[in-house]
Amino acid sequence: MIKKTAVVLMLAVLSSLLGGCWSRKEISELAIVLGVGVDLLPNDQIRLSVQIAQPGAFYGGGGARGGGMQTASWAVSAEGKTIDEAARYLAMRVPREIYWGHSMILVIGEKMAREGIGLIGDFFNREKEPRETMWLLVAEGEARDVLECGSILEKTSAQAAAFLTRMKTGFAVELREFAEMLASKGVQPVATRVIVKEQGAVPCAAQEGVATAYRQVEVSGLAIFKEDRLVGWLDDYETRGFLWLKGETFKGIITVPSPGDAYKAVSLRLRQAQTKVVPEYDGERIRFSVKIRTEADMVEQQSFEDLAKPEKIKALESLMAEEIRAMATTALEKVQRGYGVDIFGFGDAFHRKYKEDWRRLKDRWDEEFIRAEVSVTVEAHIREIGMLTRPAFSPEE
Amino acid sequence: MVGLGKAIKRLLRRGVKDGQSDNPIKKFRGTILSSSSVDVPLSSDLETNLQRLKSIFDKCSDVVFREFVFAQNEQVKLALIYIDGMVDKVQVSDQIMRALALEVAMATGGQKITKAHALEFIRERGLCINQISETGKTQDVIHAILSGDTVLLVDGHTTAIINGVRGWEARAITESQAESTVRGPRESFVETLRVNTSLIRRKIKSPALKIETLRLGEVTDTDVAIAYVESIANEKVVAEVKTRLKKIRVDGILESGYIEELIEDNPWSFFPTVNATERPDRVAGMLLEGRVAILVDGTPFVMTVPSLFVEYLQSPEDYYERFLFVSAVRLIRLLSLVLSLVLPGLYIAIVSFHHELLPTALLLSVAAQREGVPYPVLVEMLVMEVLFEVLREAGLRLPRPLGQAISIVGALVIGEAAVRAGLVAAATVIVVALTGIGSFVLSYRVSIAFRLLRFVLILLSAALGLMGLTSGMAVIMIHLCTLRSFGIPYLSPMIPLTTTDLKDVVVRAPWWAMFTRPRLIAGRRQTRLEPGLKPASPEARPKVEG
Repeated sequence: MIKKTAVVLMLAVLSSLLGGCWSRKEISELAIVLGVGVDLLPNDQIRLSVQIAQPGAFYGGGGARGGGMQTASWAVSAEGKTIDEAARYLAMRVPREIYWGHSMILVIGEKMAREGIGLIGDFFNREKEPRETMWLLVAEGEARDVLECGSILEKTSAQAAAFLTRMKTGFAVELREFAEMLASKGVQPVATRVIVKEQGAVPCAAQEGVATAYRQVEVSGLAIFKEDRLVGWLDDYETRGFLWLKGETFKGIITVPSPGDAYKAVSLRLRQAQTKVVPEYDGERIRFSVKIRTEADMVEQQSFEDLAKPEKIKALESLMAEEIRAMATTALEKVQRGYGVDIFGFGDAFHRKYKEDWRRLKDRWDEEFIRAEVSVTVEAHIREIGMLTRPAFSPEE
Repeated sequence: MVGLGKAIKRLLRRGVKDGQSDNPIKKFRGTILSSSSVDVPLSSDLETNLQRLKSIFDKCSDVVFREFVFAQNEQVKLALIYIDGMVDKVQVSDQIMRALALEVAMATGGQKITKAHALEFIRERGLCINQISETGKTQDVIHAILSGDTVLLVDGHTTAIINGVRGWEARAITESQAESTVRGPRESFVETLRVNTSLIRRKIKSPALKIETLRLGEVTDTDVAIAYVESIANEKVVAEVKTRLKKIRVDGILESGYIEELIEDNPWSFFPTVNATERPDRVAGMLLEGRVAILVDGTPFVMTVPSLFVEYLQSPEDYYERFLFVSAVRLIRLLSLVLSLVLPGLYIAIVSFHHELLPTALLLSVAAQREGVPYPVLVEMLVMEVLFEVLREAGLRLPRPLGQAISIVGALVIGEAAVRAGLVAAATVIVVALTGIGSFVLSYRVSIAFRLLRFVLILLSAALGLMGLTSGMAVIMIHLCTLRSFGIPYLSPMIPLTTTDLKDVVVRAPWWAMFTRPRLIAGRRQTRLEPGLKPASPEARPKVEG
């Protein structure tokens, strides 16, 4: 009896060990990747760079451990024919298990992007750890630079780049969204542009009056793709034009000349915007009329005139509409005439309205898009003028 | 597992020899008194009776035999027998001795009372005691003496008079230590059964409140009372309680816990299916809902059955405070209940399996804390949890002033030092502390169950991650579903669902909306208040005819 009991007991205890812990990974055995970069090298090898968090630097509790001036991250690269091959080589240099699940950004080097993202995108979608919600960024230059530079405010450049993207001052693209755009024939993909340059300054404690500039990331502008290949860039101004046409509300300022004084400026802060794209097709010519409706608040004026008057508001509204139209047209000109790719999703709008014709046109949509006529009309309203009715510092009348 | 269970059962049965277990009554009686001296009726000869009692109370130095003569007739010999310390000495000497030995003479004006009429006279006129009874059995005499009554034997009579002059040093009624409330009655039960029944009677002034007594424990001969409100309580439950209590054959009962383990539905469960409280208001509330209370002499803890899971979310104060606030507090209790059970397991599962569940910033922060911690998170958690239990036990057992010192040392010094030394991660300390505090929110009884189950869930989570945690929770849930307390499903009114009774589970409905008593406990639907009691302004009130 006792023997039998002992056997049962042993089985119970040992079987719990059997099943146990096979996929267990202690947090302290992980190399947490915050950002991934991919570059194409001249010898056609792919260079995979990762920015790994150095956890000690993230210790908040009074600095008992970690210390103040520890580096928060470690950027390390390896080369290979494919991403996974490079990742295997990377494992020889990283003493912990590489954990992709918390990577916030995927940076593609310019050369790699021109060669085609399709070459490398598979890994990040097929592997179970990397998230589809990573921000996709295209670096002007090398992707590795983005991961190797630092950030003063954030702990790492990957976080800085991710938070900058998330602020939606420009156009933010997740890996998943990029794949969706790539899959659709009615729209060509775009990705956010990231640049590394010296900006801001940190006063040097040792020498008074000396400040050091740090190389940091800046997220601005857009990378334009034709299928999976990079074809060109849009700058900040054009990106905002793109956003107007795309119908994405963004946090932004529109600066227009003052109605009474063309040399002074008025800044308007956007509240909301709606964009409606109406395609028209007569069997031969395709026309798009883009109707933009927007609301803004006045936040700053340089002139001393009283802009609270209804007629001045009217004037401001038409100036604002004009400015938005100019932005949109500039972006449209560059993309339609310069690159000849439909990144605005006009194709999708066309598809929704003319389902039959779309079937015929979809495979040569970009050519049709180049020939399409686009008219932009803007309706702008000003809602609030802030806490002043008369400009500040204006002389008493 | 079956083999293991059988082995344990065998182990527990060890010591029970066949034959002896068949008739335990005989065995117990035999060890206490030689049955011949107990079963005989009283003799008419005082000397014989005294001899017999003296031999029974041989070497019992606290039993007092006081012999004296009747004032009216010196031929009539009397004897008082009582236990020193258990009687009210003033009453015994003033109302019995003084009356019989001295003052009766004045009352009768010198008229002689014959020996034959002595008993009747004493009973009718001689004693100034409000509570007397008579018996002819030696057995009853012994019990009366041991219970603190004073027995008066009269020469020439086979009947003894039992005087209820109990009086011993007892603890005063104080504020409840185990269940304190901000609002509500302050009194709590004491160790004396009579006082306890009176506390309940004071709250329920109805002849429907029945208090039946029986004596359990062959050596301790403890008084046990079953209280219930007739016409509210479920007769089946009352009968079942009586049956289970009557089956008990044990040499001693020192606390209600002895009985609890003998009448439980599922003795192997972690969860209590018998509730115990030291608050009379809580017991009264339970009785009004149709439950049965079991009071045991010698302990301030009164048991109530049937006991359901929801009771552990409820506090007597819930019914005195405003219902909106109470409902919010109940949610907090529910949260702490879940926290105290799953939090450590969840933490382990996430930290060692599911890193993707944490936001990046939190993951980095946890990773930073765990940097340099020498042991895996399971070991760390087990050590901290055990340490916490040790501290808790130490705090409970130590004298009260020291207990506080221990908790300060435990919480601040050990926790802080361990984190500073890099032995444990700060997050682990936070989890352990949260869990501990969460379990303090719950009633002590159910938190005991959760404290044990927590360790099981920790081990499961460490082995299989969230998979282990959820399967562990599923097993607990299934177990809870199978539990019954005196026939009532443990999870009712949630499982099986009784929608009207949900008014007093996670939220507490206002009193004017709780029309019915819990249906399953009472066994049928019963109205406890009239509809239309919702307060309203005079204008809004419906017009009453006449």
